[in-house]
Amino acid sequence: MRLLEDKSKALLRQVGLPVPRGELARSADEASRLAQALAGPDERVAIKALVAAGRRGKSGAVAVCKSAEAAEVAARILSLTLDHKQVEQLYIEEAIDIADEYYLAFAFGDLGPRVVVSLRGGVDIEAVAHESPKALVNHDIDPVEGLRNWQAAALWDQAGAPSDQIPGLSALTVRLYAAFRDNDSQMLEINPLVRTTQGDWAVVGTMMEVDDNALFRHPAWQAQADETAGPGGRPLTLGERQVEEANKRYAGGATRYIELDGEIGLLVSGGGASLYQHDLILHYGGRPANHTDFSPTPTPDKQVATLEAILDRPQVRGLLVGCNFLQLARCDIMMQALEIVLERRSVDTRKFPIVVRLFGPYEPEARAIAARFPGINYLPPGASLAQACEAIVNAVRQRDGPSSSSREHKT
Amino acid sequence: MSILINRYTRVLIQGATGSQARFDIKYCLEYGTKIVAGVTPGRGGEHVEGVPIFNTVDAAVRATGANASAIYVPARAVGEAIDEALDSGIGMLLSLAENVPRHDAARTVARVRRAGAHLVGFNTNGLISPGQCKMGGIGGDRTDAIYASGRIGVCSRSGGMSAEISYTLKQAGLGVSTAVSMGGDPIVGLRLVEVLRMFEADPETDASVIYAEPGGTHEAEVAEAVRSGQLRKPIVAIVVGVFQERYPRGASFGHVAAMIQSDADSASAKRQLLEQSGIKVATLLDEIPDLITRALS
Repeated sequence: MRLLEDKSKALLRQVGLPVPRGELARSADEASRLAQALAGPDERVAIKALVAAGRRGKSGAVAVCKSAEAAEVAARILSLTLDHKQVEQLYIEEAIDIADEYYLAFAFGDLGPRVVVSLRGGVDIEAVAHESPKALVNHDIDPVEGLRNWQAAALWDQAGAPSDQIPGLSALTVRLYAAFRDNDSQMLEINPLVRTTQGDWAVVGTMMEVDDNALFRHPAWQAQADETAGPGGRPLTLGERQVEEANKRYAGGATRYIELDGEIGLLVSGGGASLYQHDLILHYGGRPANHTDFSPTPTPDKQVATLEAILDRPQVRGLLVGCNFLQLARCDIMMQALEIVLERRSVDTRKFPIVVRLFGPYEPEARAIAARFPGINYLPPGASLAQACEAIVNAVRQRDGPSSSSREHKT
Repeated sequence: MSILINRYTRVLIQGATGSQARFDIKYCLEYGTKIVAGVTPGRGGEHVEGVPIFNTVDAAVRATGANASAIYVPARAVGEAIDEALDSGIGMLLSLAENVPRHDAARTVARVRRAGAHLVGFNTNGLISPGQCKMGGIGGDRTDAIYASGRIGVCSRSGGMSAEISYTLKQAGLGVSTAVSMGGDPIVGLRLVEVLRMFEADPETDASVIYAEPGGTHEAEVAEAVRSGQLRKPIVAIVVGVFQERYPRGASFGHVAAMIQSDADSASAKRQLLEQSGIKVATLLDEIPDLITRALS
């Protein structure tokens, strides 16, 4: 979960890090009042769109202006749309007199935490990494020992920082790592990390992403979780929101549900098997209407919610219930979910193709449920995932005729 | 022979009184796994499927000589549970819960390495040396139908794909020495290349099958180890998740770790990397037995 700038800066300010004064505003009037409290009419303030999107500078969503002009600038930024979202909040901050702009970030590799430092702050760091990779200094952090002062000093030294700035930079780096760790962050980026014309340090640009799996240690974060973002930052669809709701309401592992634009509904499970089956549907010439990956649950409720979301979409012309050999879950719970939804929606299973590949505990009970619905193709024991994917693609094609996929393409 | 676990492994279950643990203990005992103790603080003196429950790992180890632990505690308690097991000298750990907080996972893996222990997981369904021992839910209630004993090593991030690969091998008359589900969380204990080095050193493993998906650097390490000659036994890979390249970067479809963050993370890039090192890559599971047989002949 990405924290907005006001929240991440509040967390850093709390532990005494040098963060410029700033506050949240919801209107141009409020922005103007806050700006005048921060600076005299001819002094400057920074006005920033308070959104999770990156690279706000490029979109004109960050401006520095005289506090007397804050209302006008704020109104302009509030009229912008960034990443499909209308800007609704602003962050009004004292302007900093910049002498030097540096870059500092903490993130995870698949071995553990890493730190990146560079003297090339205040610009798009990906461009720097591309043009002059040596300008970035990377280092693995030992998660047991933490980051020590001399290690941080060595990084800045290697990056080419002036000697007289190294003690200040390394002390700040160690404290920011502690904030990264103590706030269970997955990512903390300071860009720019500023040395002011007065020779002080200021944490000016912050991007912080906290670990959703550690929310139990930080109950205050729960309230501001932005759960409206889907893949690529697009807003969640109605169906995706319904599944998210079910994830919160019912016990058991979370179901991942992402809507796509094909015609074959997938209720598939297994972190690996769900990827494999998605590849296979495409391989046999079908197109998935969604991606799912569900985990075993003690009750059918989550699968019911997912099936409702899948079948709510008129473009869906067939359904694959496909799982790898279940080793932890009960087959009958999955089929109970299918039974509930088919009955509730009065689906005619002789006309709507459904292929089931479900092997594991309580399989006889699951087969008995399927047998009550004529037309459901519950594959015999041992059938492969590839056979299941081929069967649903062919069934949909046979029912709809060859024109269906091109027709679907236009919608 | 086998790697990591065998017929002499004496298994302890941490969090033994929870519902998933009870479910798995039953099937593991039926399979022949020597589950000698369970631990749930406050429940010492009880039994689960006839297995005695202790209040601490230390007490369980002293009473039963357990030398491996399957950890069924919730994700938030996994770090503590593993520390407790390490403190009692347990050398083989399996951690099942998914979504272990990232900082906890990193610290715990570092501690396990320092102790010279082996951790399989996080977010795994277990590992099995067919005919000898299994830990976790792997194989469920029909282990023998999926996993035949033999001379092929299997290693996969996905528990389900471990099963599908092993089943495909079995249908072709091939068997498995050990199958390891490495775990689907972004940070895991044993890395793919480490498991393959164990197979390399195991006289009763002739070749290995690995499952690869987008995200992470496991396959790059394997390709490097093959190129440098550290891994000489044949390896066949199945690479999935090519479809993900049709969607925006940063979208995660399967395991949280299966996320394309850079071009090198994609299934196509991994496929190319593995093929260039000399590893045979399958698109369909059904191609695997043939590739293995040809590599061994």
